[in-house]
Formats: sequence, C-alpha cells, structure tokens
Amino acid sequence: MIGFVFRRLIASIPTLLAVLTLVFIIVRVVPGDPALVILGDQATPEAAAALRARLGLDVPILTQYVRFLGNALTGDIGTSMVSGRPVFEEVGAVLPHTIDLTIASMILGIVVGVPVGIWAALHRNGVIDVAARLLSLIGLSFPVFVSGIFLLIGFALQLRWFPVIGQADLGDYGDRIHKLILPAITLGLVMAAYITRVTRSAMLASLSEDYIRTARAKGVPWRRVVWVHGLRNASLPVVTVVGLYVGILIGNSVLTEIVFNRPGLGKVIVGALNQRDYTMLQGLMVIYCFLIVVVNLITDLLYGVLDPRVKAA
Amino acid sequence: MKTKLLAGLAAMILGAAPLAAHAQQGPTLRVGMAAQDVGRLDPHFAVSTIDRVAVAWMFNGLVRFRPGSINPAEIEPDLAERWESSEDGKVWTFHLRRGVQFHGGFGEMTADDVVFSLQKAGNAGSSAFSADYRAFQSVEAVDPYTVRITLRENVPSLLGLVTNYSGGYIVSRRAVEQRGADFARNPVGTGPFAMERITPNTSAELVANAQYFRGAPQIGRISYRFIPSDASRDLAYQNRELDLNYGRADQTWVNRTRQVPNTTVDVFEPGELTILSLDVSKPPFDDIRVRRAFAHAINRQEMVRWRGPDVSREGQSVVPRGYLGFTADNGLLPFDQARARALMAEAGHANGLSVRVIHTQLPEMLNGMQVIQQQLRRVGINLDLQVVEHATFHQQIRQNLSPLVYYAAARFPVADIFLSQFFHSRSIPGTPTAVTNFSHCNVADSQIDAARVSTNREEQLRLWAQAQRLLVENVCAVPVMETLLVFARRNNLSYGYELRGSMSLGPLITEQTRLN
Repeated sequence: MIGFVFRRLIASIPTLLAVLTLVFIIVRVVPGDPALVILGDQATPEAAAALRARLGLDVPILTQYVRFLGNALTGDIGTSMVSGRPVFEEVGAVLPHTIDLTIASMILGIVVGVPVGIWAALHRNGVIDVAARLLSLIGLSFPVFVSGIFLLIGFALQLRWFPVIGQADLGDYGDRIHKLILPAITLGLVMAAYITRVTRSAMLASLSEDYIRTARAKGVPWRRVVWVHGLRNASLPVVTVVGLYVGILIGNSVLTEIVFNRPGLGKVIVGALNQRDYTMLQGLMVIYCFLIVVVNLITDLLYGVLDPRVKAA
Repeated sequence: MKTKLLAGLAAMILGAAPLAAHAQQGPTLRVGMAAQDVGRLDPHFAVSTIDRVAVAWMFNGLVRFRPGSINPAEIEPDLAERWESSEDGKVWTFHLRRGVQFHGGFGEMTADDVVFSLQKAGNAGSSAFSADYRAFQSVEAVDPYTVRITLRENVPSLLGLVTNYSGGYIVSRRAVEQRGADFARNPVGTGPFAMERITPNTSAELVANAQYFRGAPQIGRISYRFIPSDASRDLAYQNRELDLNYGRADQTWVNRTRQVPNTTVDVFEPGELTILSLDVSKPPFDDIRVRRAFAHAINRQEMVRWRGPDVSREGQSVVPRGYLGFTADNGLLPFDQARARALMAEAGHANGLSVRVIHTQLPEMLNGMQVIQQQLRRVGINLDLQVVEHATFHQQIRQNLSPLVYYAAARFPVADIFLSQFFHSRSIPGTPTAVTNFSHCNVADSQIDAARVSTNREEQLRLWAQAQRLLVENVCAVPVMETLLVFARRNNLSYGYELRGSMSLGPLITEQTRLN
C-alpha cells in the first residue's frame, strides 16, 4: 500500500510541472496589466514601469519562469502581487472554509444521492424512478445562485434561522457548522442529483448481471443481494464520479461563496484573476492541483478496497 | 518541498488561530462593500473605492476637508494646526499638532514622518499619485514640529495635495520601513480607527484608536465586509446584518431601499462625470462634422431618466459641476437628431456609419453604453461594441485601440486635474507622461498650463473657462451625465456631521459617529 501511494505521488510530479507551466503561460497571455490594476487609472507609465520592475515583470519571460519554478521547487510559491503577503498565508486563511464546504456537500450528496439512486433503480420506470429522475434533472439545471438566493430568502430573511453573511469564526465549531448548512445544501443537492443518476444507472447495470441472478436463485435474501452484491459492484462508477466531482466542487464553489458571502478558494481565484495577481494565481493552482492529486489518490485507494482486482493490477 | 507543502496545508486545514481580539469599547459598525477584497491599504496606493473608503478611517492629512464636504474652500486643520505661505505661493510652512500618536505603538507623529510621507507620495516607485507632486521641489523638516514645502512652480491648490485624499495621507516612517511590503495590509496611521486584521476576500476588521487626537471614537469596531453580490448584500442589510451598505446609483434601488424600515439613503458628492472621448487623430472622428453629429445625438435627459434623477444629473461640461473652475457657459451642443443626421450626410455618411468600440463588461458601464448605442443608432451611427473584461478594457484603451472611449471619473474638485488628465497632450496614451487623454486633443494645452501656475484666481478661472469652451467647441469629448454616490444606513447610525460629499467615496467614520 505504501509503495502504491509513493508511486502515485511520484507520478503526480510531471502533472504538477505541466500544470505549473500551463498556468504560468496562461496568466501572462490573458490581456490586462497587473501594474495598471494595482496603480489605478491615474498612474503614469513611469509609475507603472517602476511597479513592474518591483514585481519582477520587467525581466524576460523565460527568466521569470525559471525563477518561479526554482522557488516552487523549494516550497516557496510566492507572494501576492496585490497584498504583498505570502500566497500560503492568504490561502491558509480561507482554505478551511473551502474544505468544510466541500466535505459537507460531498457527504450530503452521497447520503441523499446513493439511496435515492438505488431506490429509483429498484423501481425502474415506476413513479419513484420518474420522480427521482425529474428531481435530479431539476437539481442539475437549477443554478446555485438562484437556489442559494431562494434558500436565503426563506431560511435567513423569513424564518431567521441562518444569517445571510456566512463568514464563520474558525475557532467556533458551532458557528462554523451553523453557517455551513445553507451553502452545503445548495451545493450538496447538485451533487446529490449527479450521484442519483450515476447510482441508478450503475445499479441497473449491476442488477442485470448473471451473478445477481445466481445469488437470487441460490436464495440469498433480496436486501443482501442489493446492498452487498449489487451496490458493491455498482459503487466503482459512483466513487469515480464523487472523486471527479470533489475537484469540480473545490473550483466551482465560487458562486456559492459569493451568494452566501463565505470566504473560500473559489473567491480568491476570481479575485486574483480580476486583479491579474499572477503569483497568487500560480500559487493557487499549485495548491489546487495538489488537492486534486490527493483526491485522485484517495479515489484510487478506494477502488482497491472495493475491487481487489484493481489492487492486484 | 513536500514536507513544507504538507505542513502548510495541515496548518490551513486545521484553521489558523484568529489574532488576539482587541478590547471593544463601543458598538461594532458593520459595513457592506461591493467588492471582492481590499487591495493595498498603503494610502499612496489606495486607488479603488473599497481601499479609499477604509484608508480615510485610518489616516489623516496635514489638513482635511470638513467631514461631509468636498468643498476646497472648507479645508481645515488636521495634523497641522496652522500654516502660512510665502507671498509668491511657492514656500509653505506647516506647524504640526503635538502629541499625535501612530497606531500600534509606533510613536509620535513628527515632521520626519511628514517629510517621509510626502516624499514617498511623490516617488513613482512608492506611490500611484506621484504625478500630482511634480511641482514639489523639496519637503524639509525645519524642526520636529515644522515642515516646509518648496514648490518649483505654483499649483492650483497646494492644500489639496496635503489633505486627506490620495497622496496627502501621512504614514509612519518607522512602520513603513519595518513592515516593508506588508505595510499594504498592515497599515499604520493616526486616524480614529486602526487595522486589526484582514481575512482575504471576506472582511477587514478595524478597532477604535483610543488615543485619537480628537478624542476616542464612540464606535468600538468597524467590520468592513466585502460582499460583491448586490443581491446578497441587500439581503444582509434587510436582515439587519449590516448597518451601512454600499448602494447602487440606480433609481429603482434607491426607491426600494427607502422602503426598508428605519433606513436612510444618502446620496452625495462627488459626482462621477461620464464622458465620451472621441479620438480626433483618427477616422472617423478626425472629421469635426462627425464629432458634432455625435454630440447632437446624445440625449442627456434620457440618460438621467434611465439612471434616475435622484442619483444622476446631466453633464454640463467636460469638467464636473461644482469643481473650482467649472463653467456651464461653454457652448455645449444640444440634443438635436435632425441636425445630427444633416451633419452625418454632410460628412459623407448619409447611409450611416459603423464604429468599432472596445468597452468593459462591468455592468454599470456596459448598460450605460448600451443606452448610448441606441441613441446613436437613431441618427445612423452604429456602435460595434467589443465587450472585454475590465482589466483588458483599461489596457486596450491605453493602447489607442478604441476611437471612442466611455469613461467615468471623479477627481480632486479643481478643474486643473480633470483638464490635465483628460485633455492635455501630455496625457495622451503612448506618451511617457500618459494618463487618460483618449481624445488626443491638444487645443487647450496653453490655457491649462497657464491656469495651473497662475497666482491670480480670477485669471485662473478665466483660463479654465476658456479651456472648456475650446474643448467643447472642438468636440474632443461629449459630457453625458454625472452619477452620485449612494449608501444606505440604519437610522440608528449617525455620522456626526451632514453628509453632502466625501472625497474618500464613502462616509467618513469619525470620533463623532454614533451607533445607538
């Protein structure tokens, strides 16, 4: 197992390097001068040139790239061009909020999506199945900024159960959970819709397999057939979707963060992009990429647990 | 590398411990601001509205606009108790208030800090406003409480350069040198509030400065929340989670917010003047007939009806109204579609004209431009809008890629600044001293230059008026409308002064401000 994890981490290094290079190029290809964004519209070319020199943007792009890679390899992913503070520090202040939201949405998505998907598969083309498919379609097509505002109007403005401003005190776990509920429902329901559809399809495929028929012929109780034989084999695509979706959740939580006024990685990325904060964007991508590698690794390990053939391969 | 990365991530995931909270002496004022984050709170780099508003709570100038006013005639002492100038107006001596303390134990403010601050403000490497200080020859400390400023040439308002605005804020020399780049997020001033901490993309927390030289503030803390979504910010205000809310300059918003119980909507100066700069150096605007047709096609009344009469007014000149030197007697071409069509035909465009224009996707600017687009279509001018992201817009208009530029701005309320930045040939993009002269006009250079150094106020006013007439006559730009600032507040928040204007673009929170 340790060897497997080690090999996967080593294999992720080229991916990280490729991502770093791509990000370095992309942020510089996008039009918009960071010096102008920082100095405002009254800045003279002289002031802009002075700032570019201070930010290290006046040297050839190759030199900038070598410097960036050299620093990244020593664990230094830079200092924000706008705030002047280390990227790690800036990200560190918001990352716990993103992780809270991602994990809570994922749990909600699994807890709702898997049973509903199984239930729909067991009642194929019945009322329950149609209702589940319809609800999952609504869940997928409803933008989070609309569902989020509806939740705020209902639960914050009318019932006053939750605040509109979702900035929680990290040291106060009660406050953290309280302010997490509405955003987690908003994102979690989208995830649940995805998982419902995937679980339903996988279960339908699994339940039509020969081994299920054999198990039933041998007199294995139906509940056991479904939960042990059916679900275990159907869970591989579900785990794949959850693994993929966690990555998307981290990046796509920006709308939820904006609507619920929560700090988070998505908002920081948008802010850095608007302000052309190259170093912040690069640093964020390193962290983001690292998180994706970790999530993929966990997904791969889960494959091994669910299907021993994967481990053997 | 991995160890550092893992250690860093572990610390992040567990959650950084919040900074030690300061003792709270009074109520917390919760302010909602339409922005993603603060940028640099070093006052000499505070260029965006969100930064300017916060900086004004933390810093002072040698002099200040009377709270609630943007009238340069109402400038009063601040860190300086008094001042005098030489007869020729080139040497100014400021006598500092004694015993003023910087935040965070950085000691007493002295002439050394003032000299350092003004030199920093005038240096292109350490200030976004360095161009404003070109006329400064020297700034010296005569003694610990006396500062002398010597000018190379006269400026229209020396007090304007040392007031609580842009480069005029006084910083702690020791704090700047000690904190380096970190000063931008850990600023140290002498104002009624001090920075406690910033959570990126979330909020800035400020605490009252009990040692403030005008007396301890009655507000204990300010929680400055960054809420970019208008809908969420309004919901938070309605839910009583905010006491003061950045508003939209939009009549519908104002009317709706006035219906919220216990709410006052403040509409105040400075008005941001929207102008359409026409590049006279290139076709089609190198033809004065096309420019005149363009000017006749703009219906300012309609623009004000669209934006809202409570929050906007017609632009009357190429300088915002109320600025020292403004004149409405400038021969501005009236709205006249028939005349516009005739001029277009005369210029050889009887069948219409299409102009490719680069414009920002920023909603308030894009919507305004779309109204203009409709107005121009009625006289046969088609604006082919190339909508780009805001930072890209700013870069591309400075590369002279758009013959027409829609631009809205407010500046220090003296005509010289607006005229110099928008209409002097030195400010044409592409020149070493470029600012925002997108029209490439130079017809009023001599009047602008002469007015700037004149020591005779009457002559100065005459020259500024002449410059405006020349610019309007040549249709270098078409003034459209002026949009005022809007904030909503709960009735239990009293500023302690009448808010008619604020150069920091948001309400000043002073030692007099109360939250009952």
